[in-house]
Amino acid sequence: MMLPPILLETTAHYDELLKHVQGFIYPNELNLLWSVLIVCYPYITGLVAGAFIMASLERVFRVKSLQPTYRLSLLTSLAFLLVAPLPLLFHLGHPERCFEVMMTPHITSPMAIFGFVYAWYLMAVLLLELWFDYRKDLVEWSRTATGWRRLLYSLLTLGVRDVSLDALRFDDKIGRAITIIGIPSAFLLHGYVGFIFGSVKANPWWGTVLMPIIFIFSAMVSGIALLMFLYLVTCWLRRVSVDMACLETIGKCLLTALVVDFAVEALDWIHRLYIADESLDVLVLLASGRLIYSLFVMQIFMGMIVPGLALAGMIVYKAGVKMRQMVYFTCSLLVLIGIFAMRWNVVIGGQLFSKSLRGFTTYKLELVGQEGLLTSLILLAMPFVIVSVMIHLFLPRSEMAARPTSPAIQN
Amino acid sequence: MSQPKLPPQLTRLLLVTVAIVAVYFAARHFLVPPSFGQYGWYRADFLKEAAALPTTYAGAAACAECHDKVVAKFAKSKHKGVACEACHGAQGAHADDPAIKPAKITDGLFCVRCHAANPARPEKFPQVNVAEHNAGTKCGECHSPHHPTEGL
Amino acid sequence: MNVFKNATRRQALSALGRVAAGLAALFTVKHVKAAVQGAVSTPAPKGYDPTAHQWQMAIDVEKCIGCGLCAEACKKENHVPKEPGYFRTWVERYIIKKPKAGAMVMHGEVVMARGETVVDSPNGGIGGFSPSAVPKPEILKSFFVPKLCNLCRHSPCDQACPVGATFRSPDGVVLVDWKYCIGCSFCVQACPYGCRFISPVTHTAEKCTLCYHRITHGLKPACVEICPTGSRIFGDLKDLSPSNPLRKFYENRKLQTLKPHLGTEPHVFYAGLDGEVR
Repeated sequence: MMLPPILLETTAHYDELLKHVQGFIYPNELNLLWSVLIVCYPYITGLVAGAFIMASLERVFRVKSLQPTYRLSLLTSLAFLLVAPLPLLFHLGHPERCFEVMMTPHITSPMAIFGFVYAWYLMAVLLLELWFDYRKDLVEWSRTATGWRRLLYSLLTLGVRDVSLDALRFDDKIGRAITIIGIPSAFLLHGYVGFIFGSVKANPWWGTVLMPIIFIFSAMVSGIALLMFLYLVTCWLRRVSVDMACLETIGKCLLTALVVDFAVEALDWIHRLYIADESLDVLVLLASGRLIYSLFVMQIFMGMIVPGLALAGMIVYKAGVKMRQMVYFTCSLLVLIGIFAMRWNVVIGGQLFSKSLRGFTTYKLELVGQEGLLTSLILLAMPFVIVSVMIHLFLPRSEMAARPTSPAIQN
Repeated sequence: MSQPKLPPQLTRLLLVTVAIVAVYFAARHFLVPPSFGQYGWYRADFLKEAAALPTTYAGAAACAECHDKVVAKFAKSKHKGVACEACHGAQGAHADDPAIKPAKITDGLFCVRCHAANPARPEKFPQVNVAEHNAGTKCGECHSPHHPTEGL
Repeated sequence: MNVFKNATRRQALSALGRVAAGLAALFTVKHVKAAVQGAVSTPAPKGYDPTAHQWQMAIDVEKCIGCGLCAEACKKENHVPKEPGYFRTWVERYIIKKPKAGAMVMHGEVVMARGETVVDSPNGGIGGFSPSAVPKPEILKSFFVPKLCNLCRHSPCDQACPVGATFRSPDGVVLVDWKYCIGCSFCVQACPYGCRFISPVTHTAEKCTLCYHRITHGLKPACVEICPTGSRIFGDLKDLSPSNPLRKFYENRKLQTLKPHLGTEPHVFYAGLDGEVR
């Protein structure tokens, strides 16, 4: 286990921090506690919820054009959900005591309840839906595969090998019911993360009623962008032709989500500026000072305005297929970076100003260390590795193109 | 008469669910600390642990047990509200074992930390502009710390 | 037509029933054990009944001289790291300047007003406060304010803790169980008064404990002991005798708390608090 960096620091570390303090901060606010890892955590959970919503659009709202990405959305959601608790674990002062959150959860704490919301979403929604959707294929692959893959598929069938028409009909019915429950569960998952911040009345940047809503919609945006990104990359790497109808639908969903997200965040600012309470002065200084690049340039301009205009442009202008794919790819990347910047602005931004409303501290991002940049990059890369493995195991190349619905369900 | 059978998927999943719930409660049995929940949602034993920490400062009452003459003189002076350890530092070790001697106060301008003039100090509080008032002399040359106004 | 092959409903229910019975047995054993333990051992220190006390601190702002002895004594008594950024208690200095020439002009006349407020707390006040950068002629009013845990009745830190490591003891002190705390820092974020920090030594949350290890043995908290002017007043709300130092304070002074609008119900009362104090 890496030594916590703070014990290796000398007074020079504190002197340097003090040099960057502006105005007055409570003496204990010198050290910024929720680091870039805590920026990664809502980012990853948001991707989970957003990817799942795209799957539910196909399953519940029968948006047929999204068929090619149905399984990809679910696998993406699962891959990111598995990594989601890791940034929290790395951040804890005592990760070996993490089980306490599940053993003696303090129910007044949003963090404690989140443990159960996470468990519910993982087990009762995502894993169940995946299992019911994949059951038929798992039984088939467990018969045709060889070696360890045969064992893996067999285990995943949980010993249930009935793939008769009745059983499949049952699977479909239950799967649809789970997705219906899954939609509010996805909203609850990321809304709860938003509530972890929104519940902190001590912090005027965080403690607003809109915080869960803002988090939900930015989660949708990031999840849809992720799906777009993964779909394009997977198709390109596997040399499968991209289903343009599917891509266009994802693009339209992304644009809609972007517009709603922008509106909700704008509403937050308009409200703050209008009621102009005590905290407004320090927050305006924060936004126009320490957050000027991450907020105006990265989050708003690069993360919302540019992709929004480009996506709208794709609806109006009928460019060629290659051009459209490049534009969508670029937009998805810009949005993914922009939403990360949004999480940064919320988490780090909320700790940069003093609760005395009289000053600012600074954030010294380490490169290596338990909570450093390298750790975050590794944690952000992990889900992509996991989803690649999952695609390899569970998404045969032949399935990437739009597949017809199975005969059992058509009747 | 045929019994309506549960689909195999459901029975298998029910089994898995029951197993998970059983593991959870079994884990709780072993992992929740013994005194948890006795007074509230916390480990009640901790109250004892928190109260058992060693002290560093002895408290003025402890000084009076041995240094009664000084304390009596002190109690008649302007400094009567000031704790002995405010100037002499933490003396818990000395109170437990008088063989451990407190460090002598060698700073000639030791009194400055309370009595230097500062606009933020209450106006009625005795404070002096050190450069003018002392003009190079030590505070102790005119003032006795245990009775600051004696002999003036 | 029945095509499902596996267990019948009856078989499934009986299996469930057996497991449920097992769980119930485990549950009963655990609770009987806890009840027996509770009867046999007591978590409170010997001779001290936490439910018989309700400790309280009060601050008389008008008496504080900013010597910083309280903050220093606290660090010594509680072995808090000497570096800046870790304070269980500290002293702030407020300097309210006179308005700049021409700043408050009404109908062409310069009027009296309060100018800008400058606040500082160099190393929490330890070592005292050097003369400030604001020259004396520019100062309208200046004072010191000691700060510490506000002993909230609806403490947001207690509410926020996910595991039950921080809590309000029966005798009114908000404590942190350093053996149970997971170091998530949620309580530090939730405290509106900035009185908590994460210890670089224990990697758990830490805060003013009213020197719980002293008050449970009849001593005063270190900061109260050391304060030379009586700016910090400590007492037991359950002590109804006239010698309770809190009694005169509560009866005679007009009292305020910090950030009352947040609904934390802080119970460290300040006398002589200025509106500029946050």
